[in-house]
Amino acid sequence: MLDNINLNYRRIGLQVAFWSVLLVLLLSVLANFVNLSNTNQLSAYDDDWNDMSAFRQDIKDMGIQTNSLVSSPLLLADIEDPRNTTYILAGVERDTLSLPQFDSDGFITIASEDGYSPSEIDAIVEFVDAGGTALILDDYGFAGSIAQAYGVRYTGYQLYDTNYVEELDFNYVWMCIQSTPCGMNGSSIDPDTISVHERWSGSLGEGAHPCSLLNGQTMDLDDAGLCAQHWKDGEIQYNATYQLLLNNITALELIPGVSGAFNDVSIRAVTSNEATVDVNGDGEIWVGNEQNSETPDLWGQFNLSIEACAENSCDPNDGGRIVFMADGSALINAIYDYEGFNDPNNPLYGSNDCVTNNTKCIPENDNRKWALDFIAEALMSSKIGEKGQPSETAMVIFDESRHPQNALLADSYNTVYFLLVYFTGEGLAMLLLFLILFIAFEAVLIKKRDPEPWRHVFSIIYYGFGDANRYTYYSKTDKIRQVFLSKVRNQNGLTREEFHAMPARELVSLINDPVLAKFAIEPGKYSLEQTVSVVKRIKAWGRT
Amino acid sequence: MWTRKASFTFTGGIALILIGMMIANLQMMILGLTFIAFIVVNSWISGHGDVEVQRTLSADNLYKGDDLYVELLVTNRSNRNTQLLEVYDNIPHEMKLRSGLNQMRLNLKPGESARIRYVLRCPLRGHFSIGPVSLRSRNTFNLGVDEMYVDHHSDIVIFPQIKEVEEAFLRSRTPKMYTGATTLRTPGQGSEFYSLREYVPGDPFKNINWKAFARTGDLMVNEKCRDAVTDLYILLDSRDIARIGTVLKNPLEMGTVSAASLAAFFLKRRDSVALAIFDDSLSYLPPDTGDKQYFKILSALAGVSPKGNMPLQAVTNSLSGRFSRGSPVFIISSCEGDGTVPAAVRDLVGRGHEVTVLSPSSIDFERLVSRIPRMSYEVLKLERQNRLTTLAGSGAMVIDWMPDMDLSQALMQVRGY
Repeated sequence: MLDNINLNYRRIGLQVAFWSVLLVLLLSVLANFVNLSNTNQLSAYDDDWNDMSAFRQDIKDMGIQTNSLVSSPLLLADIEDPRNTTYILAGVERDTLSLPQFDSDGFITIASEDGYSPSEIDAIVEFVDAGGTALILDDYGFAGSIAQAYGVRYTGYQLYDTNYVEELDFNYVWMCIQSTPCGMNGSSIDPDTISVHERWSGSLGEGAHPCSLLNGQTMDLDDAGLCAQHWKDGEIQYNATYQLLLNNITALELIPGVSGAFNDVSIRAVTSNEATVDVNGDGEIWVGNEQNSETPDLWGQFNLSIEACAENSCDPNDGGRIVFMADGSALINAIYDYEGFNDPNNPLYGSNDCVTNNTKCIPENDNRKWALDFIAEALMSSKIGEKGQPSETAMVIFDESRHPQNALLADSYNTVYFLLVYFTGEGLAMLLLFLILFIAFEAVLIKKRDPEPWRHVFSIIYYGFGDANRYTYYSKTDKIRQVFLSKVRNQNGLTREEFHAMPARELVSLINDPVLAKFAIEPGKYSLEQTVSVVKRIKAWGRT
Repeated sequence: MWTRKASFTFTGGIALILIGMMIANLQMMILGLTFIAFIVVNSWISGHGDVEVQRTLSADNLYKGDDLYVELLVTNRSNRNTQLLEVYDNIPHEMKLRSGLNQMRLNLKPGESARIRYVLRCPLRGHFSIGPVSLRSRNTFNLGVDEMYVDHHSDIVIFPQIKEVEEAFLRSRTPKMYTGATTLRTPGQGSEFYSLREYVPGDPFKNINWKAFARTGDLMVNEKCRDAVTDLYILLDSRDIARIGTVLKNPLEMGTVSAASLAAFFLKRRDSVALAIFDDSLSYLPPDTGDKQYFKILSALAGVSPKGNMPLQAVTNSLSGRFSRGSPVFIISSCEGDGTVPAAVRDLVGRGHEVTVLSPSSIDFERLVSRIPRMSYEVLKLERQNRLTTLAGSGAMVIDWMPDMDLSQALMQVRGY
């Protein structure tokens, strides 16, 4: 019994050791995909100054359901009502897992290093095609592959503009959502250069912002719904001017000669004419008439926001749309909720220079207004009597799948979830999964055996024992002769010595059989028949 | 442990969930989840093998070929039902199930008992053990199986068969060999007074000589003369070569039967019987009488197995000092593969022992399992006859024992070649 207990402990010990090693191996593998040193940022579910919790909270307060996507955008294919769903991607900080998949030509390929796999990009494109709205906020991240699907490219170089906030630094750049660039007058934007959103203002004749339809209507703030950001003095005062504050931005380009998923691609915001791009990333700007090794950087006007729509009207009811912006941090709490950030009495996002020294305060901006207008246009109900209210199935999805998580288990969970979605959403992986399931079934069928029914088997091993080698030896003439002579000796009661000393003649007379005597005395060759005959005579000899 | 059914259900459940995810079919996923849930819920409802087992045997010692009656009492000592519990009593494969079954499927309530009865036939001599008791509990839908065992063993000894030996056979062939009961002038169990000696712990009180105690003041006991006809020595050849033949018919099996039968015969006549078994070593049981000696001899014979190659002369040389003078010696050996047999027999005869060689014909046992060419067989037989003739010439009585011959028949052949 004690032995059994020891054996049990040993077995448990071995099991623990085995699973521990396996876990360590698994964690080390996962660590290759998980960048633990990265600080979590741009998450709609964290409330640091560089996260987007204020934006998400505003959306929730409007009565819109918010969800996070932690595995893969492949799940967008399962959205039941894309028309009333908005997909928001802010900052793609992590590349996708490099897993094999079918490319558009049907060949097997390993996922590129552009953040999203072809299948995921297809899923996003199909979501927008189906009437969904997408907002892509990125600068130096991995959103390039999504932009390319629409004929747009993130340059990936830092952009500097003369329209920047002096109180802060040149990284904080103003962006006016209008067709013409705005300019500075001293330390603030020149009001004479401020225009309106080209489409939302209705200047194009169609596609006006739905809140503009409520302009001038008197109502309570609670009734303002998705247009509450325009509510002032008891009525909706819609204003289509937007000065957005950006930080550390890059530029967007329309890829020449490339036709994206949508034909209708519009530039919504540009820099001033004096903007520069630090192409070689040395922190200095060297520009000339030509771009060469001495003047590698670029100078001029660059795009900051591009919108691609399924239809010219860009009306959500007519089809989907996707907006690219050249800054991943446009909606972070510090800028979006600048009042809460700057408030010295109740700083919502921790201590900062503005709170403590009243310096480097985030200036007033329209980031919140623009973002909420974007949501309002996408998710406002089109039913009569529900103007200003979100539709019943309105939903905003924040893509968190490419944000490194602080907690190790959270990232592991995301990775596992990603693999699950990958294996059930990607063609090649599904094929592989089918194969694995088939093998698993086969393995169960072949390997898994039920315990055999007990039954007693009576079994005596009927072993044999003999020496077949000696049979040949005992059929040799010499051996037969030896046996015969022993018989003669025994029969006559002679000792070995007496027998050996006996003369041949005497032996012949003792044998008294000419055939046997000849056999005993004259060694010679005998045929098989002769040998058999001799053995018979020997057997009979001495009986009488 | 999961059964095949459970493994299929689980794999099927997983497959349905994954395929349901692939084709976005909620019903399929729910069905898959149901399968998994079914497994999980079933794993909660499991049986147990927490039972007490008690085995009763009709005898601890049996003779080869006898029947053994076994009864197994299984009692559920826990507070739960056992669910479907299979109980299987492990019995040696050398034993044949004659009636009844050594297994049963039970569902015992708390405190409930069940009995399993079966009968075994024991065709082989030896030391055997019945047990442990294997238990296999299954849950309701046969999705999980747990196997365990109760480490409960019952040891039994199967003695060699005892054949009737007719006194007439021995007497008629060896009229001078056994001279009738005589008192040996050596201390031992008997009826006649031998001497007085001091009491030692362990001596029975009935042997105390109270008069001597009154006279000397010391406890004295009566010693008796050993009351026996004579000492009989049986030398059994258990060398490796004795395995020739089948497991049921070979020189060793026949040797053990003859040794046991002869010992029984002579012990019944109140003779002292000694047993020496030689294989790779020599084990010796000194001469003694009575049931105890009988049991010792049978136990020794039950455990004999063929091994080693000890020559007979080494045996006789090492035992020569222990042989009582003139006592009869039975050598049970095929006399194969040992060139010292004639010399050993000659020595024994020379020292005045009545030597009887009971020799199972190994070549005929070999013939049961091998196809020996006719001529080789004849020559081998001739050589064997020469060997036996030599032994007979040395003054021993030799019995050539054929496989199909009964012991009493064989003993009738005692003759000098």
